[in-house]
Amino acid sequence: MTGTALLFLVLGLGLVGWIFGRARAASFVRAAKGGRRGQVNSLPSYHGWFVAVCAIVPPIIFMFIWQSVSPALVTNMVLAAPAAANLPQDGFARAAILSEARAIAQGFQATAFQAQSDALVPLYKEALSYYKWIGFAGTMLLLFAGGAFAFTRLKPDFRARNKVERLVMLALLFASLIAIITTLGIFASLIFESYQFFSMVSPFEFLFGTNWNPKNVITPGADNGYGAIPLFWGTIFIGAIIAMIVAIPLGLMSAIFLTQYASARVRSWMKPILEILAGVPTVVYGYFAALTVAPAIRDFAVMLGVSNAASDNALAAGVVMGVMIIPLVSSMSDDSIAAVPNAMRDGSLAMGATKSETIKKVLLPAALPGVVGGILLAVSRAIGETMIVVMAAGYTANLTANPFDTITTVTVQIVALLTGDQDFGSPHTLAAFALGLALFITTFFLNYVALRVVKRYREAYE
Amino acid sequence: MSNALTERTPTDWNGQVMQKRISGRYAAERRFKAMGFFAVALSTLFLAFLLFTMVGQGLRGFQRTEIAVEFDFPALTSGASAASLTGENADAALNSMDIPGIVELAVTRQYGADGSALLTPAAAANVRQMLVDDPELVTAKKRLFLPVESRLDVAYKRNGEPAAEQTIKMLSEKNVLQTGFNWTFLTGADATDPSGVGIWAAFKGSLMTMAITLMLAFPIGVFTALYLEEYAAKNKLTDMIEVSINNLAAVPSIIFGLLGLAVFLTLFGMPRSSALVGGLTLALMTMPVIVIAGRNAVKSVPPSIREAALGIGASPVQVVFHHVLPLALPGILTGTIIGMARALGETAPLLMIGMRAFIPSAPQGFSDAATALPVQIYLWSDEVNQGFVEKTSAAIIVLLIFLLGMNALAIYLRNRFETRW
Repeated sequence: MTGTALLFLVLGLGLVGWIFGRARAASFVRAAKGGRRGQVNSLPSYHGWFVAVCAIVPPIIFMFIWQSVSPALVTNMVLAAPAAANLPQDGFARAAILSEARAIAQGFQATAFQAQSDALVPLYKEALSYYKWIGFAGTMLLLFAGGAFAFTRLKPDFRARNKVERLVMLALLFASLIAIITTLGIFASLIFESYQFFSMVSPFEFLFGTNWNPKNVITPGADNGYGAIPLFWGTIFIGAIIAMIVAIPLGLMSAIFLTQYASARVRSWMKPILEILAGVPTVVYGYFAALTVAPAIRDFAVMLGVSNAASDNALAAGVVMGVMIIPLVSSMSDDSIAAVPNAMRDGSLAMGATKSETIKKVLLPAALPGVVGGILLAVSRAIGETMIVVMAAGYTANLTANPFDTITTVTVQIVALLTGDQDFGSPHTLAAFALGLALFITTFFLNYVALRVVKRYREAYE
Repeated sequence: MSNALTERTPTDWNGQVMQKRISGRYAAERRFKAMGFFAVALSTLFLAFLLFTMVGQGLRGFQRTEIAVEFDFPALTSGASAASLTGENADAALNSMDIPGIVELAVTRQYGADGSALLTPAAAANVRQMLVDDPELVTAKKRLFLPVESRLDVAYKRNGEPAAEQTIKMLSEKNVLQTGFNWTFLTGADATDPSGVGIWAAFKGSLMTMAITLMLAFPIGVFTALYLEEYAAKNKLTDMIEVSINNLAAVPSIIFGLLGLAVFLTLFGMPRSSALVGGLTLALMTMPVIVIAGRNAVKSVPPSIREAALGIGASPVQVVFHHVLPLALPGILTGTIIGMARALGETAPLLMIGMRAFIPSAPQGFSDAATALPVQIYLWSDEVNQGFVEKTSAAIIVLLIFLLGMNALAIYLRNRFETRW
């Protein structure tokens, strides 16, 4: 029986528990009809929920624990058998044979590539079914014990609603804690892997080196090609310079046009179009940049006389990324312009200023902090963007300010380092985590400052 | 003092200087407005150009070029009967028929020794499917249309390689080519030859990933939103939860991929490339979006509703689950659909957890190796074979149709059910 089927069985039996609990409580209500009202403390469905929860929750927790513990138990049982005595002592070869035998026993793989695996298959089959039955029996035992315990507790004056509501509150609190756990998980995994990386490669080389050509075998003290300055520069050049040159004017002017000039009809058409622009997946933008924009820009550059224009040039990735960011800049500017008190605008118009003078001299200066916050968020979004640069920008680290040249970014290198078939502990993999940590800290900082600026600004006008 | 005031002449607004100044200011006004219009128009044009390019290329991906091949089944199969191809032994009978050999024989008889190079590698599978659909075919002498090989396909649709163009010209003169609808593209999986690829496997992988994402992110997101808006006390823990959620909403998606790789794959040892891990990773990414939308929706339910419910004796949990949640649900659903649409288009985190494998058949379970539609698009975009260009664009059309549909549904829900209090 598979895990999914067992889960459905548990849930089905929980439903049975709900029905029984509810029926029992309903019988209390019928019995109490002749007597005093309010003899039954809770509504029948709360009794049902109490039984169902007591029956379902412990077995599900048990199933999760068992799922993570049982593979190790199975391996131990196989290794304890006499047939496993002549396995190679070398850890890697041993693990390969064991995992192959397990895959065959579970039916994921048809034939063995290593001779010794075949001998272990029956052992694995036996051990797997042995522990599977223990797991099944444990789950059922907990389910019936929990259900029976809850069922015996049901009485007319049993406070089922209070119990169930306390469980609901616990569930709500637990759900909220998942956000904290995720944040801590991201932070811990990045720090842990980066720490391992920096114990091999010096942080000084990583942060200030200008040679990015990562070697998979680390020579202590020598230049191993882990200087990330070209990547940081490439990320800033594409995400914070080229993309922003496109996104800030277009986004800001779109917001001004839509809020100040456009009629309601035009606005009702244009806003969804900007939303569609924001909803197009980045892989589509990346494909478009690589297939259409980049060759066009290269041809244009060659026409201008730039001889070394690359087909994976920085300009294509940056421009397309800028277009992707336009809706973000536009909606943030829109919000901050709308938050400027009407009295300021009306005052300016009353003095005889034209609309554009009012916007340039009154609205924009007043809305500036909000606009700047929006731009910071946009920069944070742009430097973390992956697919556009992976598909349209290059893989060669290049410390250049020529927009027609190829250039690489932090996110491109994370993808490049992780998509080979590497061992998890290899320097390449760990370097990806170190780059991830740098990216995480930068975006965290940008978002924090942006939210502070926007919040401060909102408070100023409220 | 008062003398100076009376002596000053009023500004002559009709004078030349002032008229010039005013017209200059109006010109600046018009320029500024034109710039705003230009910005909006440019964004619109870019979107139109993008969609136009994708549709222009992608529509060809839904078509295939077919070539007529005469099949004299009784002669080719030495007299197999239609009855042997029905019933429970049909599969074994078809397998023993050596369909690839039959196809090769038929095509070489008609087009010479190089004939089998004209057909796609998937042609035998197509013939087999035709026989399954209509067993009577095996007793007939019939002209069947089979898809041609990828280079010829490209050459027939537009400009291909010179050699392929030559062949196409020759075949066109014989009048044996036609254009058909490429069903394989909707029902097939990844293949090495672009004429035999399909998006079904990737699409199913996306659906399974989305199912896991929705099952986790929706309850957790709604519960968190309810807790923060309705019950949380003002303390350090609540602040930490709020900071975490705002931070998670802005973390680059690739970081979630790194988390999935380090925690789900390496620490927990979950199956690599599986829809399960993909769904878990995307759920963590989608959850903050649902929380933020959910909080806004819960916040907009007026306090009078809560007070009325409390007043007639509902418990705090009953107030929220019987009154506040149903009223906030349209807003929560809108946010959920938008978050799911974003997750459906997400590629980078899935690359990190190995969902970029070559998947030649649709995944059967949540722990099977799978890929997702955007990742498939990325993989095809990397192929050098010209035939993949139109397939990539066609897959993008399918993805965009789903995303636009989801966004349209969200907008509809918002307009139809959201109450303005």
